[in-house]
Amino acid sequence: MRELFNDILNMEGVRGLMFFSFSGELIFKELHQALPEEPEARNWSLFIQSLAGMRETDLIFKKGRLYIRRTEIGYLVVLMGLFVPIAMMRLNCDIVMPALKPAKAVKGFRRFFKTK
Amino acid sequence: MIKNVLIVDDDREMLLALKQGFRKYEDAFEVLLASDGLKAIENLKKSMISMVVTDLKMPRMDGFELLGHIREHYPDIPVIVITGYSTPEMERLAREGGAVGYIAKPFLIESLARQIITTLRRESEGGTLHNVSSGMFIQLIEVEQKTCTIRLEDKVTGKKGILFFHEGELLDARVDDLQGEAAAYEIFFWDHVNLSIQNGCALKERRIHSEMQHLILNAARRKDEEGAEEVPLSAMAEVESYEPDPSLNIKRIKDKIVDELGPNCGLEDIYQDKTWDNRVMHLSGAGEFLNLGELILGYVDKGDANDYILIPGEMTTVIAVNPKCPRDKLLQTLSESG
Repeated sequence: MRELFNDILNMEGVRGLMFFSFSGELIFKELHQALPEEPEARNWSLFIQSLAGMRETDLIFKKGRLYIRRTEIGYLVVLMGLFVPIAMMRLNCDIVMPALKPAKAVKGFRRFFKTK
Repeated sequence: MIKNVLIVDDDREMLLALKQGFRKYEDAFEVLLASDGLKAIENLKKSMISMVVTDLKMPRMDGFELLGHIREHYPDIPVIVITGYSTPEMERLAREGGAVGYIAKPFLIESLARQIITTLRRESEGGTLHNVSSGMFIQLIEVEQKTCTIRLEDKVTGKKGILFFHEGELLDARVDDLQGEAAAYEIFFWDHVNLSIQNGCALKERRIHSEMQHLILNAARRKDEEGAEEVPLSAMAEVESYEPDPSLNIKRIKDKIVDELGPNCGLEDIYQDKTWDNRVMHLSGAGEFLNLGELILGYVDKGDANDYILIPGEMTTVIAVNPKCPRDKLLQTLSESG
């Protein structure tokens, strides 16, 4: 999964990325900064519930920014500094969106054969 | 402050039934009764009435005449018309005469009570204050250039009064049968008052032409002469639930956006919406956990025709913008203005 998010994580000013399921489970995280508490220890369900119905959210805090995108399987949350170019961030997220889809069950004879 | 609702009807049984039926709402309002329009006017002079519920067909002075009198002399008092002879024409005339509600008999007491309570709530929509000096508070209104209607109750005598402000200017005042400067002077003489603030001012005509400072100073001089004590500033600490006028904040935000981005900036609406408060609280909590500090604002795309900018506060301020809006520039403008 790390490779998938490489372009986002390598952008200047990006401090980390987390991916949550719709139930608030932390599926992936990579943070470039230390936090007083491990994110795994936190219950994120209320935070994820509060994103219900939102396609894209950009939260500006005093010391940084959270850019959040809804995907078909959960929420992508990018932790970044205040001056990250948001258009570039949006573009990089658009690029990873097709990969963040539920795995499709293979139908027909193809399920009996290995793909190259 | 308990609010007085004056019910006017020549049907004595109806009056008694309403008085009895409204007993369970006595925490919200008190009921005064009058048997016709002339008796109602006497009541309006004697008591601070918050609302009038009137029948239309009555001897001596009917409901339409009473409605006209109230619109002219007490434009702040909402009127609900009840009638047993309802026609569309009557309803049209009542509404054009300024009635805020029109109910045909027979009706459910509960539905009338609900309408009364909803209308009365507007009287204190801007907040209430307890045990303050009227003079000091009024000066704040002037400084903030507020347009509002303030109802006050003197804690010593129990007298009630009302002040009308348009953009910080005192237009009129009323205490019992006093109006204009005499009433304002009387109110400024009160040391400790409870007051409620209603946003907006139904009065358009200015009846007080003296400077407010002049009236306040005169009232203070009179107090000194009578040995009255100056109200300590600490009295203001007893403020219970005053909230600054949200419309001022909204206007400030709107002006800022239009100044920075021009009139065609895609701004659709600005309003306060407490249904966002919980969500904003959880979003804000996530930022604090991630060491990002306080949430300043959020931009939300829900896939609707408009996107929304959320500004946290006592109640969340929501700015609706259309796709023409230069999003990044707007966010920068708003986050810089704090």
